[in-house]
Amino acid sequence: MTEPVVQIRDLHFAHGERVIFDGVDLDIAPGGITAIMGPSGTGKTTLLKLIGGQLRPLSGSIRVYGEEVTTLSRKGLYQLRKRMGMLFQSGALLTDIDVFENVAYPIREHTRLPKPLVRDLVLMKLQAVGLRGASTMMPSELSGGMARRVALARAIALDPSMVMYDEPFTGQDPISMGVLVKLIRELNDALGLTSIVVSHDVRETATIADYIYLLSQGKVVEHGKPEALQDSSLEWSRQFLEGRPDGPVAFHYPAPDFRDDLLRGGLLK
Amino acid sequence: MLNTLQNLGKATLGFFQRLGRGHLFLLQMFATIPGVLMRPRLVLTQLYTVGVLTLLIILVSGLFVGMVMGLQGYNTLVDFGAEDSLGVMVALSLVRELGPVVAALLFAGRAGSALTAEIGLMKATEQLSGMEMMAVDPVQRVIAPRFLASFISLPLLAAIFSAIGVYGGYFVGVDLLGVDEGAFWAQMQDKVDLHGDVYNGVIKSIVFGFVAGWIALFEGYDAVPTAAGVSRATTRTVVHTSLAVLGLDFVLTALMFGD
Repeated sequence: MTEPVVQIRDLHFAHGERVIFDGVDLDIAPGGITAIMGPSGTGKTTLLKLIGGQLRPLSGSIRVYGEEVTTLSRKGLYQLRKRMGMLFQSGALLTDIDVFENVAYPIREHTRLPKPLVRDLVLMKLQAVGLRGASTMMPSELSGGMARRVALARAIALDPSMVMYDEPFTGQDPISMGVLVKLIRELNDALGLTSIVVSHDVRETATIADYIYLLSQGKVVEHGKPEALQDSSLEWSRQFLEGRPDGPVAFHYPAPDFRDDLLRGGLLK
Repeated sequence: MLNTLQNLGKATLGFFQRLGRGHLFLLQMFATIPGVLMRPRLVLTQLYTVGVLTLLIILVSGLFVGMVMGLQGYNTLVDFGAEDSLGVMVALSLVRELGPVVAALLFAGRAGSALTAEIGLMKATEQLSGMEMMAVDPVQRVIAPRFLASFISLPLLAAIFSAIGVYGGYFVGVDLLGVDEGAFWAQMQDKVDLHGDVYNGVIKSIVFGFVAGWIALFEGYDAVPTAAGVSRATTRTVVHTSLAVLGLDFVLTALMFGD
């Protein structure tokens, strides 16, 4: 088997008292789209920030392209990040410059290319996401879906070999959802990327993912190819993937007995 | 009782934690300054937003403060037949105290609050995180140029404040109330000392520029990334900068003139 791009072993992480990851093992194979799915609040975004070295784990190892992110120096980390693109849920575009300048930003910061070349590169990236015509618009004038596409153009501006997507489909209308699904798949194949998609939009993600990890309560519940997970023997996985309201994850948040609770108010005595 | 003690302890710990974070932030900022100096354009754009855009309020306030000083000073001095000393009085108060202090307070309200809100919102909308993931250091690219701009522009603004204030005093004293023009300027020239008065005023405004920039940027960088968090941080910037400026003014005055 080829060396994984990201290799996580026995990862532990907590926000204050709250344990987020309790021994997670995970491998991201090169060249494909790996989806990391799980209910809200499972720490999917946190996982991306750990891979990008923005957060440090309590213990465990995270290797990206063979480099141990957890102990990497700041300089090494910045070198490594030039090989990663990340698409934030909000887009995270710089609001005081226009679309063109946003996409040009990483190119200008990290290279000394002549102006005409920068212009061509930016237009190529914008063409790839279908927004060359919007290059003079300001981020505040863009719809949510367009902002995400611009952010995607920016994420691939330095031709990274890996792109991380944080909830790319959340809050999108069906058309921009379809556009994003298509873009993620096509960019991955055309540019030979390794993609990590963090999402809880099961249907969209399952159509493009080559491999899926299901996370819940700080652990990997199950992982495998999408088809294999559809026929999972685990009740939890089936509930999550089919979106059933009740099952191992109960509809009711743990609470004292309903009848007792009502009686305590005194009205029914 | 135990609860009060617990809260007090928590507040004290929180205070020292913030103080520590603030100093680490300052060190982090210092470390990036050589890199920023290699790209003076970054500082120049900030000099415009931080300095030039604050100019109007400084000019107007300076003029009015000078005019009030001219009026009040004249009314007091005329009783002793000393209205010829109006020029000295106005110039000394402005150069030593009012110029640096009032300019710093106005700066905190106009530029400091804007800096905090801008950085806080950039944090809340993940723009700073986004830069980090693009391997761009936000402290170097966003924070340090703004710090340098505050540090450079406040002394200049304070000098402009004092200069326009003197003209305000001149307008009211000489043009309106009839103080002798020659005496106004001659006494000022005679009694205002370049080293003892002007330089000390400049040193004050340099210190205030440092503190105002540091507080505003730290509050923005350390803000809770929500609407309420950014609004609290902006308020804190104005309050803390004002208190720090007034407190430091006393310390500096005691050191400079307290012999």
